[in-house]
Amino acid sequence: MASTLDNVSRTREQPANGSRSTGEPLLSVEHVRLGYWTPAGFNLAVGDVSFEVQRRERIIVIGPSGCGKSTLLKAIAGFISPAGGEISVAGRTAPPPGPDRAVVFQEFDQLFAWRTVLDNVAYPLRVNRRRRADATASARQFLELTGLGHAADRYPHQLSGGMKQRVAIARALALEPAILLMDEPFGSLDALTRARLQGELNAILDRTHTTLLFVTHSIDEALVLGDRVVVLGNAPSTVQELVDVRDVGAPDSAAYADMRRRLRRLLANKGEEVDENAVFV
Amino acid sequence: MQSSSSPAAATALSEPLRRPRVVGWGRLPAWLRFTLLLAALVGLWQAYVSLKDVNPLLFASPRAVAEAFVDGWRDGTIPRATWTTVKVLALGIGIGALVAAVLTVFATLTKIGDDLLVLLTSILNPLPGVAVLPLALLWFGLNTNALLFVIANATIWPIAINVTTGFRTVNPTIVAVGRNIGLSSRRLVTDVLAPAALPHTISGLKAAWAFGWRTIIAAELVFGVSGADGGLGFYINNAKLYLRIPQVFAGLVTIAILGVLFETVFGVLERRTVVRWGMKTVPATSGGGEG
Repeated sequence: MASTLDNVSRTREQPANGSRSTGEPLLSVEHVRLGYWTPAGFNLAVGDVSFEVQRRERIIVIGPSGCGKSTLLKAIAGFISPAGGEISVAGRTAPPPGPDRAVVFQEFDQLFAWRTVLDNVAYPLRVNRRRRADATASARQFLELTGLGHAADRYPHQLSGGMKQRVAIARALALEPAILLMDEPFGSLDALTRARLQGELNAILDRTHTTLLFVTHSIDEALVLGDRVVVLGNAPSTVQELVDVRDVGAPDSAAYADMRRRLRRLLANKGEEVDENAVFV
Repeated sequence: MQSSSSPAAATALSEPLRRPRVVGWGRLPAWLRFTLLLAALVGLWQAYVSLKDVNPLLFASPRAVAEAFVDGWRDGTIPRATWTTVKVLALGIGIGALVAAVLTVFATLTKIGDDLLVLLTSILNPLPGVAVLPLALLWFGLNTNALLFVIANATIWPIAINVTTGFRTVNPTIVAVGRNIGLSSRRLVTDVLAPAALPHTISGLKAAWAFGWRTIIAAELVFGVSGADGGLGFYINNAKLYLRIPQVFAGLVTIAILGVLFETVFGVLERRTVVRWGMKTVPATSGGGEG
């Protein structure tokens, strides 16, 4: 089991700092406010959130439940429009939903039950004007990448939860999105499968160089997958802190443990009372 | 493969697997069980007729019914009656489905259409199909149009209810995925909503068929004949009029066989689609259990 956890560690290459700082950000979230209407009035979940994501960067959004982190992802995907502020992707402001921001959801039911695994990946490509043969070849390639080549002809209901999430990841990656949006995709999986998929996702992103925005409530997931972590507070949430976690190392390292403790304090309700500098100089 | 390296596992793996033991009746294949039961029932029926000396003008023996059935198919009276009934039924359900589709689109797109559908279905769905037959005869006269009206009315509501429910209960996540991959509104309906709602659509068609089937037979019994074309209901009523009791039974047997046939068609359709896709679980017993 220990070896499984080691595999999850950050073996991936680090993007050069210089490559991130040039040009305009791929995604910019500026003073975004999000909420929903209830009979009692407007319920603000995201109070005022701003951050930027550079190309090839892996950003984790973490926060307590109800802080609006999933709502924020849905807004970036274009499903809901903010009550305030602005979201722009590659220079376009408030873009409608589209495959340039492919989403992987938490629910296993995000696959088309009436299509085979292969067709679940190939069909979205055909929708986006790819020729049938080309789409099928590409779908096979991405299924191989996620280790599902053998299950191409099955229907989704014949797969385990972990396999379903792999198909969803393959489908999203095959669309070659500018930014991959993931909304707690491993949240419903058992601990071992979750750890394995985290490791695989890292390896795949190393190869595809896809920019990632990943929503989770798991600190370990954030540390294993992220370059930077956006820590949101309680609703109506603001950015508590933007933490660079590129250099925390393997889960058994001292730096990892320190960072883990720090994020945990930030996420706890009493976050403000803790003096971070005492731990981190 | 690893039998040499781990002997403990090898011994367990090489042992024959125990099967749950099924004894007696349940061990037989389904088709044989039902054939045997049917044969027993027919045997009881024949025994009753032979031993009790029943009045042949009230009750026919299986033998006489079989003869009437074969004769009816030979001289073409039963096939003609069957064809008439099935033709009117298919046309009626077709009209019903079309109207239901229009209502469903209207109900999905507008709130007032939705309210209208709820109101109409709650009033008209509980109404037995034949109840509007007198009015239909008054409006359309003694012809096929009256029958079509009655069938259409009996089938619109179950289809409309089921299809709107199907559309309304589609998992929002799968709709979000559809929009995310860049589907247009039209393709979102045809490629995501329609297949996702298919289990409900099939249920609606099944209910429509069952309602329509009962309605048309009942209507034909009341309605009689238009021109030379009489359906199965008319065939039965006519045979009764001339006291040809075996023919009455033969008509009933035909209706039962057709019913089983249609159920089978729906069963195959479901197995090829929604069951295959895991959107509906297979009923435990083989053969449709429609109520």
